Amino acid sequence: MARGSDILLASARDKTKTPRIVAVSPDDGSAIDLRNPALAAVLAWAVPGLGHLYQGRVFKGRLFMGAILGTFLAGMWLGGGKVVYASWKPGDTRWAFVCQAGAGLVAMPAVVQALQLHGVAKQPLFGSMFMAPPLVAGQYVSRGYADRLASADQDIDAEDFFDRPPLKQFRGEQVSHWQRRLGRWFDIGTLYTMLAGMLNVLVIYDAWAGPLGTPTDADRKSRSALQKT
Amino acid sequence: MIPFLTTIPAAPILLAALVDHVPGIFFGLPLVALASLVFAATHHEDPAEIRFATVHWAVWLGGILGLVLAAVLLLGWFS
Repeated sequence: MARGSDILLASARDKTKTPRIVAVSPDDGSAIDLRNPALAAVLAWAVPGLGHLYQGRVFKGRLFMGAILGTFLAGMWLGGGKVVYASWKPGDTRWAFVCQAGAGLVAMPAVVQALQLHGVAKQPLFGSMFMAPPLVAGQYVSRGYADRLASADQDIDAEDFFDRPPLKQFRGEQVSHWQRRLGRWFDIGTLYTMLAGMLNVLVIYDAWAGPLGTPTDADRKSRSALQKT
Repeated sequence: MIPFLTTIPAAPILLAALVDHVPGIFFGLPLVALASLVFAATHHEDPAEIRFATVHWAVWLGGILGLVLAAVLLLGWFS
């Protein structure tokens, strides 16, 4: 692998080429071609590990993709698919979503669902409950979504809605149903998805600026001593 | 082979049943491992160094969290 200083010198000699942005590996001093760091950072946010794959750092790209997406999906599964939603209603602001959004596009259906439910349609996209925010007391929803909830959600029936033509008005607290039904899994799933999103921020930084590590001489000595033994 | 394949659709149900019996504290262990792995991988480039640093961070994180847990348990015991 070429060393960082070699690549910089080669770029300086060849005036026709755009200088490449490189980082230096803290392990062996070799150069890491960051290509377009801003694009890599955006890709790393969109799909964890994709920014590294774009830069040709295949091992780390696969590692981050498996670890971050695996943890996010495990959290979704543990939380019964209810733990990732966006809500900014007074009294039910979902601050956990700020962290979950760090995991990228995989969390974005929650934003679409929240905008749809609070928009003109008064129902999530295609009436689907996937990543839809919970209903609060007094919230207006479309008749179709109310009927769908009454038939598909075992905690909700038709009597949980006031008839307010052309809409229906919910009179319970759906998030309390979820918490009662899921118990500790609601919190564990939330924690998993939050941590996946927060750790992806480190991954985004690594794609943008290269590895964070700067090993000290003591580190190098202890590692070389360990390798000898 | 065929009996093995027939068990696959039941795997999520079996896993869910198993997971219900695991004490909540053990669900923190994968998170410690994940945090250590991502922290190590964002500080190094060489796979061998990443493995070494993952163990290093896991020991530190596990140790600190273990001490906090022990302190909390002791405080609960004395109260």
